[in-house]
Amino acid sequence: MALQLKRDYLNQKVLERLSTLQLHARLPMIGNVSGKHRSPIRGSSLEFAEYRKYVPGDDTRRLDWRAYARNDRYYIKEFEADTNLRMCLVVDTSGSMDFAHNGMSKLDYARRVAGTLAYIAALQGDAVGLYCAGKEFHIEIPPKRSATHLSVVLDELGSVEASGETGLADVLHETAERVPQRALIVVVSDLFIEPGIVRNCFDHLRFRKHDVAVFHLMEQNELEFEFDRPMRFVDMEGGEPILADPTVIGTQYRRAMEMYLESMDEVIRDTEVDYHRICIHEDYGDVLARFLLGRTPKKHK
Amino acid sequence: MSFLQPLALIALPLIALPIIIHLINQQRHRTVPWAAMMFLMRAKRMSRGMARLRHLLILLMRVLAIAALIFAISRPLSGGWLGSVGLSKPDATLVLLDRSASMEVQDLQAGESKRSTALKRLAQLLEQGDYGTHLLLIDSASGQLQEVDSPKVLLSLPVTEPSATSANIPAMLETALAYLKANESGRAEIWICSDLKENDWDVHSGRWNAIREEFTQLEGAHLFLLAYADPPSSNLSVRVENVQRWERGNDAELVLDVIVRTEGGFLTGAEGRIAARRVPIEFEVNNVRSVVEVELDTLGASLKGHRIPIDAKLSSGWGSVSLPGDANPLDNRFFFVFSEPPVRKAVVVSDDAKVGETFRRALAIPTDVRIQHHVDVIPMNRVAEIDWENTGLLIWQGTLPSGLVAEQVQHFVNNGRVAMFFPSKLRTSTGTGDQLFAARWGGWQSTTGEQSDTKGDISWWRGDTDLLAHAEGGDALPLSELRTYQYRDFESQGTLLARFDNDAPLLTRVATDQGAAYFCSTLPTAQFSSLERDGVVFYVMLQRALAEGSQTLAVASQRDAEIDVLADRNQWEPVAPTENSSISQRGLHAGVYRDEGYWAAINRSQIEDNAKTASLEAVDGLFDGLSYRRIDVNVGDTSALASELWRIFLIAMAVVLMLEAVLSLPSRKTESTPLMDLAVAEGTTE
Repeated sequence: MALQLKRDYLNQKVLERLSTLQLHARLPMIGNVSGKHRSPIRGSSLEFAEYRKYVPGDDTRRLDWRAYARNDRYYIKEFEADTNLRMCLVVDTSGSMDFAHNGMSKLDYARRVAGTLAYIAALQGDAVGLYCAGKEFHIEIPPKRSATHLSVVLDELGSVEASGETGLADVLHETAERVPQRALIVVVSDLFIEPGIVRNCFDHLRFRKHDVAVFHLMEQNELEFEFDRPMRFVDMEGGEPILADPTVIGTQYRRAMEMYLESMDEVIRDTEVDYHRICIHEDYGDVLARFLLGRTPKKHK
Repeated sequence: MSFLQPLALIALPLIALPIIIHLINQQRHRTVPWAAMMFLMRAKRMSRGMARLRHLLILLMRVLAIAALIFAISRPLSGGWLGSVGLSKPDATLVLLDRSASMEVQDLQAGESKRSTALKRLAQLLEQGDYGTHLLLIDSASGQLQEVDSPKVLLSLPVTEPSATSANIPAMLETALAYLKANESGRAEIWICSDLKENDWDVHSGRWNAIREEFTQLEGAHLFLLAYADPPSSNLSVRVENVQRWERGNDAELVLDVIVRTEGGFLTGAEGRIAARRVPIEFEVNNVRSVVEVELDTLGASLKGHRIPIDAKLSSGWGSVSLPGDANPLDNRFFFVFSEPPVRKAVVVSDDAKVGETFRRALAIPTDVRIQHHVDVIPMNRVAEIDWENTGLLIWQGTLPSGLVAEQVQHFVNNGRVAMFFPSKLRTSTGTGDQLFAARWGGWQSTTGEQSDTKGDISWWRGDTDLLAHAEGGDALPLSELRTYQYRDFESQGTLLARFDNDAPLLTRVATDQGAAYFCSTLPTAQFSSLERDGVVFYVMLQRALAEGSQTLAVASQRDAEIDVLADRNQWEPVAPTENSSISQRGLHAGVYRDEGYWAAINRSQIEDNAKTASLEAVDGLFDGLSYRRIDVNVGDTSALASELWRIFLIAMAVVLMLEAVLSLPSRKTESTPLMDLAVAEGTTE
């Protein structure tokens, strides 16, 4: 699929490098057209799925005569069905995503990650949707698989801005309900909410049979908290500013961060989401390559 | 606390510098937009506990470091206790030095006496500190107050050398008080250096109340007591109680009673047991030495009636008794002088021949056959014939003398002789106008009349000392058997020696500088009392008075060391030891002096050998309510009373800075889960 890319946040070289990789769903998907992803519904692909006992009414053409010869019983031979994928990109646009490192904010990074994934998905014929949310949905584009739709998604992604408080938890719950069929939900956020709340969101999405992938964006300074003098920290999400001496609370800050990350690891382990913790100084091409390779089914490796 | 560089303390407000810098630093904050506020708020909550405390401790350490530096620069002085005194610069510093013989107890290892140690430590302290505009010394031997140029001079003054005298601490304090009052000194420091001997302090004296009261009224007077109360580890003292020269035919000999006293653990063996020990006593008479060994018990030893043969031609001379060296070198040698016993001469002045004869009979019979007594009885009109120089006792029965005779009598008494006054028989209802020694006779009283308030019995007499003292064996004189039929009233402020049952005085001793003057209110004849008939009391009383008065008649005399002990003659020359060169200090050191045919042996007083140490509580009680501090020191302790503390403060500063560095060290990050690793870790699960 040839696309005229006018979105400057997308890197042509990264797209070309990643175009050789395919985006796979970890769970069977229910699509409306044939595609490259497994479906929970048995179909007519060449991929053997399973045997099951014959019951009256079954198409006798699908009986496995060799199995009958061996066991003297009737078995129906079933094959996997291949379908397309619905990918919903959920991008956090709360004020905290505007936190920048060397000129690149977390939202910029999220834009690149989401845009590139959208391009790759569209390239392999999958449907792409976009949900940008701060306190509530700012942009809500349901998944579709047309080139025009991709343009819309990329344009919207390019124009979104970070502001306000975060409402990611509500947005994820709502997304779980709004996306009607199994889909790949890609969350790109700094996840500055309590791990317990994150756990509920992921549980909800998993309950709805969605394949959940998370890009947890962090900035180096947020992790290390390296300041040498008292600072007035202004909340980027509009809260009260805090005057603090990093020499006094630095250790405690790092300890709090450590506890948070450990809790988050536990949530990830329990909810089995595809989690990627990323420092935004990393090259997003490498990050996405790792992501795509990680999702490649083992038999293809 | 005192400082050598107090001006440096002006910089003390600099200790607030870390706090000010901290506050300024707080104000110099930068504003930064921040996303991860939830961790920041959590960190602030966590930092309210130990982290905040640590931060406060760091600030405190910095404050302490600056304070320690400033104190180090100001060069503080301290000697343990001195650090808490908190004194500032005094206007005057007075040193009251106890130079008594007991202060010469030495530490045998250091070779320093209590006096010299106290002086050195005090001089060092005053040299380091600021002793004010005036530095004054009152030494116990002279009792005089004198200004001293600098503390170092204290060590070389003759008036700070050892002496054989006793101290009078209350009198020294009174001298100090008089100075402070006269000069209206503001802040004054009074340093008393003493070994707290009971005889020196006289803690039961009524003078202390007045001293305490006067010091209370003085603002700014601070008293310090350098108390060397530790007893000597091992000490012996020797004393000659009695020395007499007797002749036997063509030979002569000295008879001495020598007492050796032990102090401390002299008899304590290595295992702590008391063991008998023999000590050699060396006698030196006329350059001839002899040694006698005596066995000591817990109280010491007594050598009674020790005879030393001498040349019969040696009618007078001197000698000494010595012990081997021990803790106190000053009590190891005792000087004595001897001479032929003088003729004890008494003069009875009475117009009543019968009464005069009564006195003569009682005085003429000597207590010792080897002593000659000579008694003259003369009437009033022949008083001019009295040989005042060679008379030891004057009995005056009659109207009290007046005019020139009264002056002669007073001079006689002040030369160390004894005068006894008995009333005139003249009956007057009121007393005569004549008075002597601030005393006068009143009217005659009868004890036989119905209106009399007394039966003439003696209700009380002083048996511990003076004329009516108990006999040597402890038996009391039979004053209870004495009957008085008539007595004469007597007005005086003297010391009562005996009184009737109506409290009227029988015998009174009036106050005199030297010698003694007694007033007896009755007469010995049968008309007035049973003094003559019962005899014993009368005889003993007169013989004692004669013995006391005749002491000054001898050419050789034993004297206690004190400032004016040699004032009676002008040409005293030291005979032994010869190294005592300072004329002003004569009489203060033990030794023998000679003036033509007269001899004087100067020694420490008897009480100096026997004195116990006053309890610390009793001494402290003397200064109740005053600014007073006692410093207990041992004679062997040669460490400085005050030492510079700047090293301690520098070390303290270094320690504090190290603590600050340790507290400021960043906490170790968890090795197992570095944040960066956590951040890039991928939790992909399948």
